[in-house]
Amino acid sequence: MLKGHLDMIVLAALSSGPAHGYAIIQEIHRRTGGTFELPEGTVYPALHRLEQAGLLGSEWTTGEAGRRRRVYSLTTRGIRNLADQTAVWQRFRDAIGGLLGERGDATARPHL
Amino acid sequence: MRQPDLISDYLDRLTRALSFDTPLARRVRQEVEDHLSEAVAAEPEEDPGAAQLRAIRNFGDPRAIASEYAAQSLFWQTRRVGIVAVVVAAGILVTMNARGAWYGWTQWGGSAELAALRRIGLTIDLYAYAIALAIGLVGWAYIGTRRRAASFDAPYRDQVKRCLLLCAVAALPLIATVATDSVLTALRLFESELRLMALVPIVTMAGEIAFAALLVAQLRKAMQRTALASSLFCG
Repeated sequence: MLKGHLDMIVLAALSSGPAHGYAIIQEIHRRTGGTFELPEGTVYPALHRLEQAGLLGSEWTTGEAGRRRRVYSLTTRGIRNLADQTAVWQRFRDAIGGLLGERGDATARPHL
Repeated sequence: MRQPDLISDYLDRLTRALSFDTPLARRVRQEVEDHLSEAVAAEPEEDPGAAQLRAIRNFGDPRAIASEYAAQSLFWQTRRVGIVAVVVAAGILVTMNARGAWYGWTQWGGSAELAALRRIGLTIDLYAYAIALAIGLVGWAYIGTRRRAASFDAPYRDQVKRCLLLCAVAALPLIATVATDSVLTALRLFESELRLMALVPIVTMAGEIAFAALLVAQLRKAMQRTALASSLFCG
């Protein structure tokens, strides 16, 4: 389930600004309270895939320790895609919430 | 006692698993090295060996990660071959017609023997090009409707191989067209004096050969990468 939403999770983590792979993973941990225990390595192929799809841009920079690191940022298409996915997710969440609420009612008053 | 460099060993394994695409392997190695170094540095009080082990464990299996990259890399590679095939087919058609138009405009008829050979050559060209176009359209439709898999496994390998096979089958008649044109152009040039107007057939013929070489090079590269990835992940 989580794997299917990985692209949206990565895009959402980058919505606060450009970041490198490690910082993106830390941001996911921070914003989800550590709920998602995904192998960290799976984020990198997702970043590559999103970049190939034109949703992310990237550039090499030099970090504080002098190591070269790749910094990713959302492109205009990426911002639009995240907005679309967020809207779909919110509709899905509302629908499931409503369904679960109705199920409680249905249990209380079964159809005869 | 010196601590074993677990990160270097891990990076070597990851690079080996990505050896089907050298530029990608280099890029991923640098990125992952930065990630693992930062993960180790995040816990400065931890034993260095234990910190490296933790960082590697959290990162995941290098073969599984490389397999995800392989699926992406070969997906784009196959699409690139499909696009190159379309560009090459269009390029050959344009250069062929440009040469024909030049012969007409300059009234460069050639001998009766050459005219007979030219009729045979044009028939070969027409049929070979039509066959290439038909197979190319089937290949284009097939490649365009394939979905990218999450990782490189045997069914996905077979799918990539089918895409490349269709491209290769479409490339063969195109190469036959270029070979026929080369022979006809060479014969025409041999039987006439080399003048400035011969420059157009020479340049257009060189263009056709370059287009065909580009397609063959792209196909070869894609087939080599697919074979290497297959041996790494499906062997």
